[in-house]
Parts: sequence; structure tokens; C-alpha cells
Amino acid sequence: MIRIEDLSVAFGGTEVVKHVSLEIRDGEILGIVGESGSGKSVTALTLMGLVSDAADMTAGRILFDDVVLREAGKPCDRALYRRYQGAEMSQVFQEPQTSLNPTRKAGKQVEEVLRLHTKLTGEEIRTRVLETFRAVGLHEAERVYDSYPHQLSGGMRQRVMIAMAVILHPRLIVADEPTTALDVTIQNQIVELLRKINREQKNAMLFITHDLHLARRLCHRVAVMKDGCVVETGTAEEVFDHPGHTYTKRLVEAVPSRMKGKAGPGRKSGELSAAEAKRGESEIPEKGVAGNDGTAPVLKVRNLSVYYQDGKSVQAREQTEGPERKKVSPGNRLFRKRSQCVVWNADFEIYSGESLGLVGESGCGKTSLSKAILGMNRHIEGEIVHNSVRPQMVFQDPYSSLNPAKTIGWLLQEPLRAAGALDKSLAMTRGDRETAARDMLRRVGMDERYWGRRPSELSGGQRQRVSIAQALITNPGFLIADEPVSALDVTIQAQIMELFLKLQEEMHLACLFISHDINVVYRMCDRIMVMKEGHIIETGETEEVFAHPTEDYTKLLLWGS
Amino acid sequence: MKKKNGKKWNKYLYAGIVMTGIAVLLGVAGFFWTPYSTTAMSAAEKFSAPSLRHPFGTDNFGRDIFSRVMRGLGTTMLISSLVVFFSGLAGIFLGAVTGYFGGILDEAVMRVTDALNGFPSILLTLVIISILGSGRQNVIISMSLVFMPGFVRIVRGEFIRLRDADYIKRARMMEVGKFRILFIHILPNIFSVFWVSVMIGFNNAILAESGMSYLGIGVQPPDASLGNMLSDAQGYLQSAPWCALAPGLTIVWLVLGFSLFSEGIRRWTSAAVNFV
Repeated sequence: MIRIEDLSVAFGGTEVVKHVSLEIRDGEILGIVGESGSGKSVTALTLMGLVSDAADMTAGRILFDDVVLREAGKPCDRALYRRYQGAEMSQVFQEPQTSLNPTRKAGKQVEEVLRLHTKLTGEEIRTRVLETFRAVGLHEAERVYDSYPHQLSGGMRQRVMIAMAVILHPRLIVADEPTTALDVTIQNQIVELLRKINREQKNAMLFITHDLHLARRLCHRVAVMKDGCVVETGTAEEVFDHPGHTYTKRLVEAVPSRMKGKAGPGRKSGELSAAEAKRGESEIPEKGVAGNDGTAPVLKVRNLSVYYQDGKSVQAREQTEGPERKKVSPGNRLFRKRSQCVVWNADFEIYSGESLGLVGESGCGKTSLSKAILGMNRHIEGEIVHNSVRPQMVFQDPYSSLNPAKTIGWLLQEPLRAAGALDKSLAMTRGDRETAARDMLRRVGMDERYWGRRPSELSGGQRQRVSIAQALITNPGFLIADEPVSALDVTIQAQIMELFLKLQEEMHLACLFISHDINVVYRMCDRIMVMKEGHIIETGETEEVFAHPTEDYTKLLLWGS
Repeated sequence: MKKKNGKKWNKYLYAGIVMTGIAVLLGVAGFFWTPYSTTAMSAAEKFSAPSLRHPFGTDNFGRDIFSRVMRGLGTTMLISSLVVFFSGLAGIFLGAVTGYFGGILDEAVMRVTDALNGFPSILLTLVIISILGSGRQNVIISMSLVFMPGFVRIVRGEFIRLRDADYIKRARMMEVGKFRILFIHILPNIFSVFWVSVMIGFNNAILAESGMSYLGIGVQPPDASLGNMLSDAQGYLQSAPWCALAPGLTIVWLVLGFSLFSEGIRRWTSAAVNFV
């Protein structure tokens, strides 16, 4: 049994973990949930003895069974810790990309754990590693053993990490967001694997996550952290079904969920039916059919195939008639280059005021499709008809989507300046431009104070608001949002989604909403498209698709969330 | 330079500003006034050791070394800053265009700069000088050519890094003009990197100019430059070491001051949050 008693940790005088007490029993999975900056990772790192020297343990102690691993006021006993690290407790990190050494073979890296902690001989070590690889679901254990990390997929790398963590059958496994960097279906497999390990080896597990769905599915007990304090502890059911603390309530409410239905604030039923009426029209497959009351779709995509990495070789593309052919083999024609088809025959339209959700895992072609729509990739076949001024895009990463050298006011005026420079009739005076920009800033829920600030002085959520404002200030009529909320904390995520819905209604905006999070899409979108390996495999009303998915893959996605 | 939000004043910057400040003051003053004429010879005062009358002593022609150091400092700094200015400007322009647009132009420019880089720089300047003839402006032209590839590389690299940044993609979607993207959207973001390379370039230019004058292909006598003073002094290293010490230490002072200054600038800007 592992106990954290009254733990406080401070960095340079500011406490980031305040009087946290936790208890993890054998065979139990304890989840720590909380938003970024709530102190969950620091708690785990302190428990593991991996926290940096800049951290001061100002109060409390950490007990492993009855041995005091660390106590406030005493320096960290590294020798003592080393006996426990690896053998008795181990950690799985978030980033499978960086937690393995890229220059050494996966098998060798796992072997090292055994070499350090056991007296096994070379051959025994190898057998044990291969056994463990198979146990964590790496079927081609031999191949993985001899692979370098870059030759493995993200999921496989995370399995290697897990193998490394469990190979000595430690009493405690700390998993810090082990699935966050992975796709939904892989995420499920990893979660199942952790559950299986826990059941079979009866070890204690500390599972840190920001994903409440995940915590609920996997954990026996849950601790909710906020600003360094544990605000609530209890069994998973207790905490999520009957949250006692107001913060937990807010957190649970903020999570987009199918269980809660769509009739939340921000979505008017009138809007829905209007959109539905239009959608009835969209089912008609013929070309060039306008919607009712003569409104043409904002965007119409017909038989669109998108190619990647290909020269200006028109002939080459002409020869790839068969849509199933993945690569154009080089040769034959002189100027032919290899091209890979990443999106096949996409066929859809978006109407004014409607949100179309695009769901799929990484690498399925979502981004390629959006790039083609925006004209950033010209290697396409088929037809894209825009009926909007100038489609804009909101990106996932709020930290890189605003120019760090400029002020918010300047950034908001830039689209207007650009529009004015392009079309003299749209040119505005300096005063008008400023008024419009200030107005837009208010509409995304930010006040005048931010006008003169730079993006670095804003939080992630605020930056995303500015991005949205910047995209919408020219009233483009059509917006592509590429995972606009995935990088944000749940409560912020909920606010940004509210903002989207509000602006969409106000500006009668058509939106292509790309996400891997099916719950977010459910909350935001009228219709959804499911994409897999470049094909759009399922399209339909959100409710329809969620209630009666026809494709196995869609079911898998739904089941996973 | 005022203290901005999040930017930290540091010792490097302080020391750098003081050291370069003194050098710049002396150098600028040297163009207008020196204690003695820089060319007036005096047979009576040949090789006199540093004294109150001649703080750095006198040289083989009896000229006051302090005055000559002042003038030489000015010449060296003027040449170096013009070289950095021209090559930096060309570097920004070529680097921006090649880095952002890529393609044939990029290939062509990069191969030319590779070719320039392939020669030892002294050899290259020798060739250019021998074609153009010596003289102050030819020194500047040839050194600018030699220094340009470095700037082009740095600017190009930064533009390649930033051309696919999300905010630049969005600027393209807003249909902001190409040159506006290059010089208004991207350029301010590479400033800290560019500034450091300008500082390093300036240091190297000082050393290169001194080196060229030392070899006799730079500033021609009787004009004073730190390099040709060193070159003149090497024959008397045993008998009158101050002749070599004064210009040599001045070069050290100037280069060290500038290094500290550029390190200070680097720390100053990287302390600001927006470069995290």
C-alpha cells in the first residue's frame, strides 16, 4: 500500500501541490483527474522521486508500505529511491515519441531494466523481454525487439513503454496520461491492456488523466485535483454521478457527452429544424441541385480525390483512373512522379448555418481534405465549388496560430487590411477598422484590456478566441475548424464550444468541424462524416449515426468514447 | 533600450554596453579630433615608451599610437558596420525570398552561396581585391560578398521554419500579400536570431578587416587601421612591444565587448515570454 500524506510541493516559493493526501491499495486503480496546472503530474513525479531539484517538498511524507520514502525537510534519499524505482514502482509517460531513446533498439532498452535489477543471464533476459512483449499485445515480438523506436507506431511504442514498466512486476505503476497522444481506437486497446495488467498482476495503479470518460471507465477510485488541492475523492461512480464539490460538478458538466443530449444552451431548436430542412435536400445526389428557397450550398464537393507529394504531372494523375490504386508507379512517362492518393472520391456539401463534423483518426486524410478545400493543395481531382467569400480556418494549437510578434489589435485588423488591399471597394479607414476589430473582440468575449497585448500574454483559451475572431472578422460565411478545442482543458473547451455555437448562429456560418473526439462533434454538429483511410465511410445526421451506426469502424469509434 | 515586460536586464548586457560604448566613443571622436596628428612623424620621439605625453607610446616613425588607435578604431568599426549592414540587408532579402518561395531560385542562390563558402574567405577577398584594386570601398565590397552567405543561410533557415507556421498559413488564407507576409509577418519573428548573427558577424568583420590590413590588402598606409598597425609593429615586438600591444588589446577589447553585448541581447530577448 502506498500512502501520500499531506504532501505539499513548491517551486520557487509558489506551492503547486497543497496538502494532498492519497492512498493507493494493491490491485486498485486510482485516477487523478484535473485540468492542466492542477498539480497532478507534480504529485506523481514527487511520488516517484523524479521531480526536479527545483521543487521543494514543504510538507508531508510519502510511504511505501511502512517505509518512509521521503519526508518534508529531509533531502531526497536517492539510494533508497533507486531500490524502489523500477522494481517496486514504475512509470509510463505521455509521449511515446520522446520517452524511448531513438538511437537504441526497443528490445535493448527494455533489457536494460532487467540487467539493472535482476541477475538473469543474457539469454534469459531476452526470453523474458519477448514474453513481456507478447503479454502487452506486441504480437511480432521478435520484430519489435529489433526495431528502433521510429520504426514502431505510436501505439506500439506505448506498449513497449508499458512492457518496460511491468516487466519486473512492480507493486505500483504510475501512468501519466498514457493514452493522450494516441488515436481513439489505439487508446482503447491501451486502456484495456492496463486494465488487464492490473487484474492479472494485482498491482496498484495511479492513472493520471484529464479525460473524465477515461477515468470513469478504468478507475476504481478517483481523486479530483484543482489548483494543487484534492477537492474530492471517492469511487468513480460516486464522483461522476453524484459530484459533491462544485468544481467537480462543473468539470463533469463541461465534458461533452452523448448522455446529456444536445438540447444544451446555445443550440436553439428552431435552428436545428431549419438546418434539418436543408439537409433533406442535401441527400439528393444529383449535381447542381440547389437547396430549398434557392440557397445553394456554401460548399459543394464532388468526387474529390486528393493526392499528396506529386509534381506537376497531369498525365500521371490521368492514368490513376482506378480509385483504389494507391501509388502511381514511377516509370513509363518521363515527367511522371510518384503520387499517393490520400482522399478518395469525397462527396458532400455544407449549407449555410450548418456544422458538418468530420471524424477520423490521425492519418485518415482529414487535414488533406481541408487543405484541398482551402486551395492549399492543388493536386486534386474532382470539383470544389465555393459559395463563400473566403473560407477561413481555425487551427488546433492556440500557441502557434497567432503571430507572436504582433499585438491582438494588430492581428484582428490584419484580415481587414488584407481584404482592403485586395479589393479596393472593401478598403476601410483606420478608424472603421479599429471599431470593427474592437467589436469583434467583444463578440468573442474578451474585453478592451487585451487590445494592446501580445499572444504570449494570453492563455490558451483566450488565444483560441482571438483566432476565432481573426477568422470571422471578414465574415467569411464558411469556416474550417481543425480540432479547435483538442488542445484545451475541459472547462475551457466547453466555453469555446459555446462561443462557436453562439457565433455560428449570429453569423449564420457554415462550418466544417474536424475532430477526433466524437463527443465534441456530437455536441457541435448537425451532421457528421466518418472518415477512414481516405474514404468517407459514413455520412448522416448526428443523431442517426450515433444511434444506429452502420459501419463497424464507426461502432468502434463510438464504443471507444 | 528600455526594459520591457518580461525582458531581463543582465550583467552581460551591462558590461557589453560599457565596453562597446567606450570603443565607439573613442572611434567616432577619432574622426574629428585626435591628441596628435595621426600622420605627423617625429624622429626625436621614435619608440618612446608609454608615458603621460603619449599614453600608448610612439611607433617607429614617432607617431602617437593613442591617436592612431583612435583613428584605426574608427576606420575598423566603420568598415565592419558597413560590411555587416550591406551583407545583412542582402542576406535578409535573399534569405527571405529563397526560404519562403523555395524552388529554382532557392537552388540557384544556395549553390552560389555554397560556392562562395567553398573558398577560404581570405583567398576570396584576395581575388576580389586583386580584381577591384585595393582601397577602402573595395574592402567593404569584397568583405560584404564574403559575409553574405552566412546571413542568407540564417535568414533562409528561419523563413523555412516559419513559412509553415499556423499563423503564416492563416495569413495566406486571409490573402495577405506575399511581400507583406515576408517582411511584416515573418521578419519581426526572426529578429532575435538575426540580431545575434549580426553581432557575431560584426565581430568577425572586425577580425577579418584587421587580418586583411595585416596582410596588406586592406586599408593602405598612411591611413591607420588596427590591422596595419599590428602588421607594422611586428618587427619591433622585442624592442617596443607597446606598438603591437596597443592595437592588439584594442581589438580584443572591441571583440570581447561586442561578444558580451550580443550574449546580453540574446539573454535579454530570450527572457521575454514570446520566444518561449
